[in-house]
Amino acid sequence: MVSNDKNIDLWLWIPGWRPSARPGMTLCAATMLCLFLTPLAFAFDFPELTGRVLDQAGIMSAVTKRDVEAKSKTLEEKSGIQLVVATVKTLEGSDIETYANQLFRVWKLGEAKKNNGVLLLVAPNEHKVRIEVGYGLEGTLTDALASVIISSAIVPRFKSNDFSGGIERGVDGIIGVLGTDSAGWQANALALRSNGNPLIDNIVIEVAIAWCIFVFVAIFVLGYRSRYPKHYVKRRGRRVLVTADTSPRSSSWSGGSWGSSGSSGGSSSDSGFSGGGGSSGGGGASGSW
Amino acid sequence: MSRIMNRIIVARIGLVVALLGIALTVSGCGYNTIPTLEEQAKARWSDVQNQYQRRADLIPNLVATVQGYAAQEKSVLTAVVEARAKATQVKVDVSDLTDPAKIKAFQDAQNQLTGALGRLLAVSENYPDLKSNANFLALQSQLEGTENRIAVARRDYIDAVRVYNTALRTFPTLIWAKTFFAGNKPMAEFTASEGSEKPPQVKF
Repeated sequence: MVSNDKNIDLWLWIPGWRPSARPGMTLCAATMLCLFLTPLAFAFDFPELTGRVLDQAGIMSAVTKRDVEAKSKTLEEKSGIQLVVATVKTLEGSDIETYANQLFRVWKLGEAKKNNGVLLLVAPNEHKVRIEVGYGLEGTLTDALASVIISSAIVPRFKSNDFSGGIERGVDGIIGVLGTDSAGWQANALALRSNGNPLIDNIVIEVAIAWCIFVFVAIFVLGYRSRYPKHYVKRRGRRVLVTADTSPRSSSWSGGSWGSSGSSGGSSSDSGFSGGGGSSGGGGASGSW
Repeated sequence: MSRIMNRIIVARIGLVVALLGIALTVSGCGYNTIPTLEEQAKARWSDVQNQYQRRADLIPNLVATVQGYAAQEKSVLTAVVEARAKATQVKVDVSDLTDPAKIKAFQDAQNQLTGALGRLLAVSENYPDLKSNANFLALQSQLEGTENRIAVARRDYIDAVRVYNTALRTFPTLIWAKTFFAGNKPMAEFTASEGSEKPPQVKF
């Protein structure tokens, strides 16, 4: 390599670059900062999707929660349909249609390609209930059927304060309707489910960012090697990096530091339940008591 | 010696240019951004039109059902049928999305239909036999569902248009907008929320 002390400082045409800086670490820090600056898209304060039954308002009995959770799990295993029951303390001043649709989209219920999610949302303080149906199930669980389920199974029981019974009968009704559509029941629903993994999108992004970091680091290392060639000497036939006290170290990049920036947007729970990436277009029906 | 240094300079410049090229193509502020956002907005507009059409398709059945019980309410029934005919005639092609006047015309026609439907449903309240008719109840729930879908589709369209219009005006996509996409004009949004039964509440 070149061993001329009168090297032109080729890197000074990058404004602000100081040879004494630790370029690799700075870049890592900057990238991690950008990763965390994700914009807030929704104004609502939605609860986390921790499972198939989310009783934020505390109106369901423990037995009902277990039963409904088991039924929903069986439904998903048989058909890939994600049915989530949620009760919320407040609709934050919104109408239940808007709230349910936004919540459905944030939780991403249903498989991404099939959009087969159903959300049964109860807002006891506003006396409103809604069944929000994903795009893919609008033909099966039609608005009319959802309306019938609400008016016949759910609302009469809610009127007599039997929330657990109303929710359970509503879930039975929904599963009944979904079960009659043979197209919805797949033999290997779990295998299909694994095809659309939302976590993979995050992994791809992180790999891309890692690649960019690697390339930038490579540039700096190349620059370093040609700028301080005397530190790369041959010792016993192998090139070894010799660092002096006053010269800057090469970019030491701890590979584990960026790996900890986890994927936001998904959800984690003990049962490992999370949304499949589906969306809803506002189908379903509402009711009040 | 200087030849080697020249090669180093050229190599580095080449590397930076290559990286810049890749970044410009695939990044969120690259060449692809504006066409992608435009297509998304157009797709959302198609959704809006589909939902309005779905509502229009429900109306003949509704009118027939109401006529069976409330034939004397001729004026209201005729108003609905006429408003529907007018609304289905006004169509906005995706290439007309930059023309606010066309969007307004479309919106006005649909608003008229909404008003006529509202009156019809209000009149139906006076006929208990009609109100308890299973077919009518099913149609009513379908109408409510469709109105909700229209609201959601409009919201999605407004969001997509906002993102597209913002990309046309903000840096760095502004550079692409002024050079390669100088012919792209901002898309029109819906003017005001219509007076439907459930006005969507927007939170800021």
